[in-house]
Amino acid sequence: MFDQFSMKLSSSGKERKTEVYKNLHIRYKDYKDPWGFNLKSVEKAMDIMLPFYSKYFRVRVFGLENVQDKPYMVVSNHTGQVPIDGMLITMAMAYEFDKPRVLHSMVERFMAGLPFIGDLSAQTGSILGDRENCKWLLNQGESILVFPEGVRGINKSTKNFYQLQKFSSGFYRIALQAQTQILPVSVVGAEEMFPLVFQAAEVGKKLGLPNLPIPLNLFPLPSPIDIYIGKPIDVPVDVSPDATEKEIRPYIYKIENEIKRNIHQGLESRREFFDWLRNPVNKFIKRF
Amino acid sequence: MPEIVSRKILIIGISGGLAQILTRLILQNHPTWTIYGVDSRSTKSVPKLKGLKTVQMRYSRGNFENLFRDNAFDYVYHLARISHSSNIHESLNERFQLSVMGTNRILDLSLRFKIKKVIILSTFHVYGALSDNSIFLPEDSPLKASMKYPELRDVVEMDQICSTWMWKYQNQVSSVILRPCNIIGTQISNTMSNYLLSHLALRPVDYNPVFQFIHEFDMAQVLYRSIEDLPTGIYNVTTDEFVSLRDALDIIGSKGIPFPISMASIFNKILKVTNFNVPEYLIDYLKYSCLLDNSALKKQLGNDFFRFKMEESLKLLKLKS
Repeated sequence: MFDQFSMKLSSSGKERKTEVYKNLHIRYKDYKDPWGFNLKSVEKAMDIMLPFYSKYFRVRVFGLENVQDKPYMVVSNHTGQVPIDGMLITMAMAYEFDKPRVLHSMVERFMAGLPFIGDLSAQTGSILGDRENCKWLLNQGESILVFPEGVRGINKSTKNFYQLQKFSSGFYRIALQAQTQILPVSVVGAEEMFPLVFQAAEVGKKLGLPNLPIPLNLFPLPSPIDIYIGKPIDVPVDVSPDATEKEIRPYIYKIENEIKRNIHQGLESRREFFDWLRNPVNKFIKRF
Repeated sequence: MPEIVSRKILIIGISGGLAQILTRLILQNHPTWTIYGVDSRSTKSVPKLKGLKTVQMRYSRGNFENLFRDNAFDYVYHLARISHSSNIHESLNERFQLSVMGTNRILDLSLRFKIKKVIILSTFHVYGALSDNSIFLPEDSPLKASMKYPELRDVVEMDQICSTWMWKYQNQVSSVILRPCNIIGTQISNTMSNYLLSHLALRPVDYNPVFQFIHEFDMAQVLYRSIEDLPTGIYNVTTDEFVSLRDALDIIGSKGIPFPISMASIFNKILKVTNFNVPEYLIDYLKYSCLLDNSALKKQLGNDFFRFKMEESLKLLKLKS
């Protein structure tokens, strides 16, 4: 199904970066949003993320052919304890396409209010996951990234890795209202960034956090990441955004199933965790 | 033919800069109208204009009753909201008495003396600055300002009293409640104008909320046009533009003092001893955005009724310094 994966970034490095930034400037020259979007901050963030994206997590993107230059509601599984998956999908949308876009990811309420983090998120296009905010962005022709699993998805214990949690329906109602296509995305490899996790939910609650995952390692491990982009899914024109949960659920199941299927495919064909060591080790052995 | 219709207008809070701009505007357009300006503060600074009578008085029931009884007013402008920011040393009770009870008296008398229209100046502060605010809050958004800080109770309560009264008596008195964003200008002295111009302004390094600004002349225009062009209702007053706080400070050329606003509360507790503290409930307005939706106002006044662009308003503010 996914016979193509991107190698644009690793094959053309700096030139590619210059080209991407040039195209982003063209697209966002006059763009201004009410959260304080700042293209310079986006570039800075990308400069920092780039080595992680290409060298550390060695991201491969499958299904590039499914994406056109138009606004989408990108819907993805949420994994990895911290939202690195969101950053990597955002990087992919900016780096892997000829007409790059800054994907606006939706952040949790508690995060939007944090000092420094809330401001940096807003400057780089990530905003509070609120219906009005989503609607505004979609009306401006922007693409948004949502994780309908929410915190339940990202903060899974080791035994529940890659088990897709039930999607909330809010995102679909927004897509219905804006009549925006859904782009299903599956991320494989992010769970292993923090392979052993204990959930200190009670302590988290006392600190005002939705959860408090305590991983064995504090820095994410270099797990190879694969991003699978499925075919865009149309939203029906004859279903109201205020339709009952029962009416909407089958459409959401369809998206969940598509993402699940791609996760399974990804898990079967993923790279070994330590494949990054193979080349240096081989080189080292060859010396002798 | 020159206009010969005469109208009598009461402006409560005449010593304020905005009230004075409004007075000039009304008298320029309607030289035959009479304005009666009252204030609890000194009215000495109010320029002497033909058609304007000013009086300094205590905002008591008796004084207002005499005022309404002696003058058959057609329109009442209530611009005398006791600013929660400029009276930080006043007791909450005193502020509550002035803002809420005073407003109640004015509304009551407006009904009794058959005023044609009452125009009330509220503020965007009623919505509250919260981290999870939606963008572009419409007029029917919940007023959350006092949820976190009870000190803002008078601001919210005054607005709510006016709203309830407005709908209850809509068949008897026409009334308009205006909730403007930050009004800036050289003639008014409010917290935001002073903050933007201050060399000691704290420049947040950890937050960068987005603001809406309106020039004082544009705000006065909206007040003026409220008489004829705005039907009974509540209206957010803002332009379509918005700007982040740091960008606004840059436009004005104010360097300010880089400061983590998240530390302000702790810092404030120390300053409290010296009576130099900033009200804690205002700090949140430097952390979180509170943006207004202006579609209701645009529907009545059209799309391009503002004279000043936001950048221009900010640059003009520099003239004050």
